[in-house]
Amino acid sequence: MKPIFPVAVITFKEGIRNRAVYGIIILSLLMLTANFLICEIIMREVGKVAVDIALSTVSFSGLLLVLFVGINLMAKDLDKKTIYMVLARPISRTHYIVGKFLGMVALIIVSNVIQGCFAAASVFMLNSMYPAYFQRFSWMMFILALVFIVLSLTLLSALSFLFASITSTSFITLVLTVVSYLIGNSLSDVKALVEAPKAAGIDPSPVTIKVVQTAYYIFPNLSFFDIKIQAAHGLMLSFPFICWTTLYGLVYTAIIITLTCAIFAKREFP
Amino acid sequence: MRRLYPLIIVIMLLPLYLVSLSTVASYKKAQLRDRGVSYVLPSALLKITSLEFDELMSDYLFLKALTFYGGTLDRTERPRIKKEEWLWMYDVLNAATDLDPYFLDPYYFANANFTWEARMVKEANTLLAKGSRSREWDWMLPFFMGFNEFYFLHDNALASEYLMEAAKRPDAPPMMETLAVRLAYKGNRTKIAIVFIQETLKKTKDKITRRDLEIRLEILQDVLALEQAMEVYLGKYGKLPRDLKQLQARGIIAHIPKDPYGGEFFIDKDGSVKTTSDMFVVTK
Repeated sequence: MKPIFPVAVITFKEGIRNRAVYGIIILSLLMLTANFLICEIIMREVGKVAVDIALSTVSFSGLLLVLFVGINLMAKDLDKKTIYMVLARPISRTHYIVGKFLGMVALIIVSNVIQGCFAAASVFMLNSMYPAYFQRFSWMMFILALVFIVLSLTLLSALSFLFASITSTSFITLVLTVVSYLIGNSLSDVKALVEAPKAAGIDPSPVTIKVVQTAYYIFPNLSFFDIKIQAAHGLMLSFPFICWTTLYGLVYTAIIITLTCAIFAKREFP
Repeated sequence: MRRLYPLIIVIMLLPLYLVSLSTVASYKKAQLRDRGVSYVLPSALLKITSLEFDELMSDYLFLKALTFYGGTLDRTERPRIKKEEWLWMYDVLNAATDLDPYFLDPYYFANANFTWEARMVKEANTLLAKGSRSREWDWMLPFFMGFNEFYFLHDNALASEYLMEAAKRPDAPPMMETLAVRLAYKGNRTKIAIVFIQETLKKTKDKITRRDLEIRLEILQDVLALEQAMEVYLGKYGKLPRDLKQLQARGIIAHIPKDPYGGEFFIDKDGSVKTTSDMFVVTK
């Protein structure tokens, strides 16, 4: 177990030194500034729009982090053959993967905490500017939404590790991760759409329905972690739902990382 | 001289660049002005394409409708907004509230503008009904619906149902139930009004309010009894009685009840039982 920790630390440091991190933070700061401008135009539910924008910003910049910083951490090692240097040391491939992944998780958590603080600051300022429109707002739901964003990004990052262990270039990993993200977020909507054809006025073939239903079990359902709407309106979520969703995220991530380790252990390097 | 060539070329191209920029910009501006109404993607599709940013898409669509409406304020033609533009705005707001059914602003906007200005009251109420279902803590949306039914569509019975719904919700002003009951009574929905008052009585602790409610309940129960007696009369004689005294004369009721507010019960032109006090204290 010992070698995992140094790998995690190195991965984290490598990630945080990446210039892209600064770009992502600047982008999110700009978006949070835009929050003030947009909220000026809203008539009544300023609180809702402010929370929408704040949480979407955190989620979006986290996505950029996973896609452009996270993938490089693992895939570039393979791309640039620096992995030989690591594997030549007394460290098993499983330790390498787990260490890298934990470093990446730490990066996601730290960046989310920073972005979350910025987002909370913008919501807090708008809250003190328009207190009358924040009656249903609850900080607890806001923080829970941030935690769920971390869970969802961790899951996505695990998937990017799996793709990196299969493919040979980081570009293919990026494409596959983006596609998984798109599928993961639209899956339950698509499933609802094909399973209720009459209401939507479409008539999907039985094959389509089966394909969607199969995909539903294979791909991660990222929309489970999307509780921005509840946070924005201060709607309460049941405690079992929170626990089960967390469990779902952790279990799916664990399965993916186990698979990654198994595939990576058998992989032959040219 | 040769070193100056790039400079000369740039200087020669600069006017062309500026002209093309301003020309394209003016074309673009004209296009934007015409754009106004265009196709709105169905919300099922929007839900899929907006990924995890449903709420943001909802905000965007609402702002689109809002800024379009704001842009028409300096128009000189009458009517200021064409029918198809109103329909487009309705589609946009409908999609926005499909993406985030809890978002108050689109409902608020629709209620303010679709009713008075566009006279699309049915559409406004369809939207408001969606909001009322989602925002179950908000008494304002059913209240708006009730008002629209009463004022624009002249459907008192339905209006009273909505107002009763509004009165049940937290923080609803106390006058809401009074309004609801009076509308229900006028709309010949005696039974609903009785049930509603009974429900309200369960929740009311204030003595004065309770007394008012109890008196109103008593009147409504009398009205209901009289209406039922009229139905018995109709069954027996095949027509409605001309007045309540006939019911007494034929032995269907023992006596005509007294209105605690001091009015008198009578049969209205539409065949419903009403009282001259109209459920208010008659001052003589």
